[in-house]
Amino acid sequence: MARAPMQFLDLLPVFEWMESTPVAQTIRHSAKLIALLESIHLIGLTLLLGTILMVDLSLLGLGIGRSPASRIAKELRGWTTAGIVIMLTSGPVILSSEAIRCYRTPAFWVKMALLAIALIFHFTIHRKVVFEQPPAPRARWTAWLSLGLWTSVALAGKAIAIFQPPD
Amino acid sequence: MFLLSICQWLDSTRLNAFMRMSTWFFPTFDTIHTLGIVLVAGTIMLVDLRLLGLTLRSEPVAGVVERIVPWTLRGFALMFVTGALLFSSEAVKLYHSPAFRIKLVLLALAGLNALIFHLTIYRDVANWDPAAAAPIRARLAGLLSLAFWIGIITAGRAIAYGSGYDLG
Repeated sequence: MARAPMQFLDLLPVFEWMESTPVAQTIRHSAKLIALLESIHLIGLTLLLGTILMVDLSLLGLGIGRSPASRIAKELRGWTTAGIVIMLTSGPVILSSEAIRCYRTPAFWVKMALLAIALIFHFTIHRKVVFEQPPAPRARWTAWLSLGLWTSVALAGKAIAIFQPPD
Repeated sequence: MFLLSICQWLDSTRLNAFMRMSTWFFPTFDTIHTLGIVLVAGTIMLVDLRLLGLTLRSEPVAGVVERIVPWTLRGFALMFVTGALLFSSEAVKLYHSPAFRIKLVLLALAGLNALIFHLTIYRDVANWDPAAAAPIRARLAGLLSLAFWIGIITAGRAIAYGSGYDLG
């Protein structure tokens, strides 16, 4: 078995408990439910990436008309939040159905780390730069970093399914 | 049957052999394919939601379409090329997958819906854009597009979990 990623705080019992819950066991044994939950998770990702792409394109000067990124972001904010909520709700449910395998898969921990960074970045630096008037020169790298971070989260998510845990 | 023989032929081509050269090819193209679909659906959904008056109401529809649709088309190119490669690697298997057939039908309907929208009601956009709400036919096109793309994503996931089909 792979070494625990965090020796000082062993989360394995938590993951074992997650997988033992009735909800997790029901999903685990239904390919239809897993496919459905993953579809919902992907639709959340679609909303999230679609709206963030538009805001970041605006930061790069490729937005809609001459509208500032702040206006685009304000209008799209509700849908970005909806995407995040859909993902953060469906994600743990999917996770529970194969919690122990995820615990042992490095791609899962990479995704969680990237997700934490992306969320913190989104609600702090990104938000601040988007609403800055007049637009600051750092708008460019903020947009690229935002696009890079969220794409990485998505790629790491796909990697969980592709890479099996090491023996 | 005609379609089946095409699939059998595809499975015998060099494209199929190429896809089987490395176990890395399928998951790599599958990942790009997923990102392509997310780009297509994520951008077109914004146009749909705008048509329905649910976002970007301060922006004219024409401005939204002009800026967003090029990204939809880029995503579509990614999705189409990688999709064709993935298909050629297991054409006969997919021929027998009901979810794959549903996905193709929904894809055709989404394309037809977009085509009809652009050739009819959108030609007149300059006249109705200043109004508070888009005409009913434009809103209907937006609603159908949303439904089709949610269906395409769901059918795509169902292909991977269909009978005898391993997640790659």
